[in-house]
Amino acid sequence: MVWEIGLPQTFAASVPDQPSEDQLIEDCKRGNIRAYERLYEIHAARMKSIAFHMLGDRSDAEDAVQETFLKVYRSVAGFGGQSSLGTWMYRILLNTCYDQGRKKQRLAEGPVSADIPSRSNVPLKIALDRALSRLNERQRTVFLLFEVEGLKHSEIATILEAPEGTCRSWLFEAKRELKRMLMESRS
Amino acid sequence: MKFECGDLERALAVPELMQEARDHLKNCPACRSELRLWNEISSAAGALHEDWASPELWPRIKSAIAAEPRPRPVWWSDWKVWALAASIIVAAGLLFWLNRAPGTFGPEQAANRDFLTERALQDVEKNEAAYTQAIDRLYQLAQPRLQNARSPLAVNSREKLILLDSAISDVRTNVQQNRFNASLQMELAALYREKERTLQELVTNDRKN
Ligand SMILES: [Zn+2]
Repeated sequence: MVWEIGLPQTFAASVPDQPSEDQLIEDCKRGNIRAYERLYEIHAARMKSIAFHMLGDRSDAEDAVQETFLKVYRSVAGFGGQSSLGTWMYRILLNTCYDQGRKKQRLAEGPVSADIPSRSNVPLKIALDRALSRLNERQRTVFLLFEVEGLKHSEIATILEAPEGTCRSWLFEAKRELKRMLMESRS
Repeated sequence: MKFECGDLERALAVPELMQEARDHLKNCPACRSELRLWNEISSAAGALHEDWASPELWPRIKSAIAAEPRPRPVWWSDWKVWALAASIIVAAGLLFWLNRAPGTFGPEQAANRDFLTERALQDVEKNEAAYTQAIDRLYQLAQPRLQNARSPLAVNSREKLILLDSAISDVRTNVQQNRFNASLQMELAALYREKERTLQELVTNDRKN
């Protein structure tokens, strides 16, 4: 087992394989790299997928995940446990993606949006993927978190710092918009 | 109410209305297709989860974290610690001023300048109480870190603080027996200042690491 960055062996070895949420937070606050590795194991797959859908590129998505981990490392001392560490990380990830997305959009001098394939026999997954990229930021985010990544309404509300009912209505708007786009492309 | 094609979206938002939509759906292929698409969106969404192997990503993150300065200790960001530190500085300033203020030891007291007047003593005791309480609370907060500390400086500081506490306790006993003795009060203040300095040294050292 490889222990880390300048910390005493006894300290690193005291982190159990399945630490509790509180323990994980405490270990992250102490800068224990094993705790960050555990966070990576738990959340990275979902974080990559979310970032991919926000940025449209795997390499950009990985950069966003890396940036998120660094932001967590830098600011975890101030994390007061008002939400779970996971939801806090997703919030940081989304903000990172919004920032990166905006930079990218500015560089491209215009919104990056793909046309929805108009052939009626195109697989729904592809058409939906394209339609999703044309949703506004807020609608895309709730749809991604709920329908694609399977987060609960309560978790999404915490991540977006909005009332649960509001998040539910954003989700409805997102689905209605997707349905409209898909119907248009089929007619 | 007669259900019409335009009511379908409302029914999608309010599931209770779907009951009313049933008869209409039986006879309306357009609405049936719209409802099918609505349901398909949710079932197809799960397949949009994008998964790919990134064997380089964690090593990259790990190196990036390693290149960062170490995070400050948890208590460093605690406002209570800073509030206490500020109150210690203020109280120490007051105590210093009281010990130095010319009025406290005016010419009329020159004959017995080692003895404090009742008024000055009350001031000293009041400020000393605030000062020592603030230091004690900071000490309490630093205790877990002190106990877990392994560095030579922390071990030294721990031992020094034990000695200082013992000396403070002795001088306090003497002060209680001789409340008006200014040099004893000053000796006590000096011991507290030393304790404060030791704690500050620990804080600064922790920050550097
Ligand atoms: Zn109809």
